[in-house]
Amino acid sequence: MAVDEMLLEAAESRGQWSLRFYQWSEPTLSLGYFQSIRELGDRWQHTALVRRSSGGGAIVHDAELTYSLAVPPNSPLARQPLRLYEAVHLGIVACLEEFGIDATLCQSPVAAPRKNQPLLCFQRRSSGDILVGEAKICGSAQRRRRGAVLQHGSIVLRTSPLAPEITGLEEIAKVQVDPLELADALTAELSSRLHLDLKNSRLSVDEADRAELIASQTYRKVAWLQRR
Amino acid sequence: MNPENLLFAKTHEWVHVEDSDGAKIATVGLSAFAIEALTDLVFVDLPEVGRAVTAGEPLGEIESVKAVSDLYSPVSGEVIEANTPLADDLEKLSEDVYGAGWLVKIKIGDEAGLADLMDYATYQKQCEEEA
Repeated sequence: MAVDEMLLEAAESRGQWSLRFYQWSEPTLSLGYFQSIRELGDRWQHTALVRRSSGGGAIVHDAELTYSLAVPPNSPLARQPLRLYEAVHLGIVACLEEFGIDATLCQSPVAAPRKNQPLLCFQRRSSGDILVGEAKICGSAQRRRRGAVLQHGSIVLRTSPLAPEITGLEEIAKVQVDPLELADALTAELSSRLHLDLKNSRLSVDEADRAELIASQTYRKVAWLQRR
Repeated sequence: MNPENLLFAKTHEWVHVEDSDGAKIATVGLSAFAIEALTDLVFVDLPEVGRAVTAGEPLGEIESVKAVSDLYSPVSGEVIEANTPLADDLEKLSEDVYGAGWLVKIKIGDEAGLADLMDYATYQKQCEEEA
C-alpha cells in the first residue's frame, strides 16, 4: 500500500506513470478506505489486515495478482473514475482472452446501494467489474489526489481457503494462470492500449525509502487501520 | 444559490462569501461538474467544527464508485459549521448542488487565497477544457 501511495505521489508531483504488479507475502485482507473495522467480526481475526487509501470493499489478497496503475493529472484518463476503470478492465479482458478465458465487463447499473453491501469486494457487483460467467474475477478501486489517480485492483487466480465463496479463474475457467506470465501479458496489453512507454524497473533507493516512510507513518499504524 | 454568483477553486469547490458581524464567512460546496464526473457518491467525511484549514489543502474526503477523492479547502480559516447530515443523505449533494448540498462554512482568517478563486465564466472554461 505504501509503495502504491509513493507511486501516486510520483504521478502527482512528477507526472510519472507507473504500472506495478505484486503478490502478498502472507494472505492479507485489505479494507476499503471508508470501511469500518467493526464490520469484520471474528472471521478475520487471525488474518493480516491493512487499510487501503482507495474505496470499495475488502479484498482477500491470496491466490490473486494485485495490480496498481498511477496516472498523472494531465492524462484525460485521470478525469473520470469510470473512464479509467473501463480502459484498464478492457485491457485485462483482452489479455485474459490470450489465456483462453472469455471475460466480460459487468453491465449492472452504476448505482450501488450504500448500506448493507457485503464486506468483500468480490461479493459485490459494480458496473465495469470483470466477470467470467457470473463470477467476478477482477475489481478495482481508486484514490484520486490533486488530479492524479492511483487505481489498483485484484485478479483472482484461484479460490483462497480463506474465502471459499469467491471463485477464481482456475475454478470458473479451468485455466491455471501463472501470475508472472499474466503480469507480462498485461504490461504489454496496457502499454499498447494506453500508449505508454513503460520500462521494467525495480524501486530506486529513494523510492523504497519514501515508501518505507509512508508505511511507518500511515499503513503500519494501528490508528490508520482502526480509523473507522 | 445561483452558481453565476459564486467563486470556484481549480479543484472544483464552489465558494459563497458573505459578511457576518464583521467577519467573512465562506460557504463551500462541490461543483456540479465535479459531482457529475464522480458519479454516484457513497461516503463523505467532513472536518470537525473548530478545525483550522488552509487554502488548497485537504478539507475532507468523498467516495464514489470505489474512488476516494480529497476535497480541498478553497480558503484559509476555521471551520465553523459542517453539513454532517449530508453523510446520510448524499443525494442532496447532486440534487441541490449550490444549496442544501453545501459541505462546510469557514470563517475566513486570511483573505489572500480568495484572489486565486475563479468567477463562474472562467471556471466554465476550465470545465470545458477538462471535459
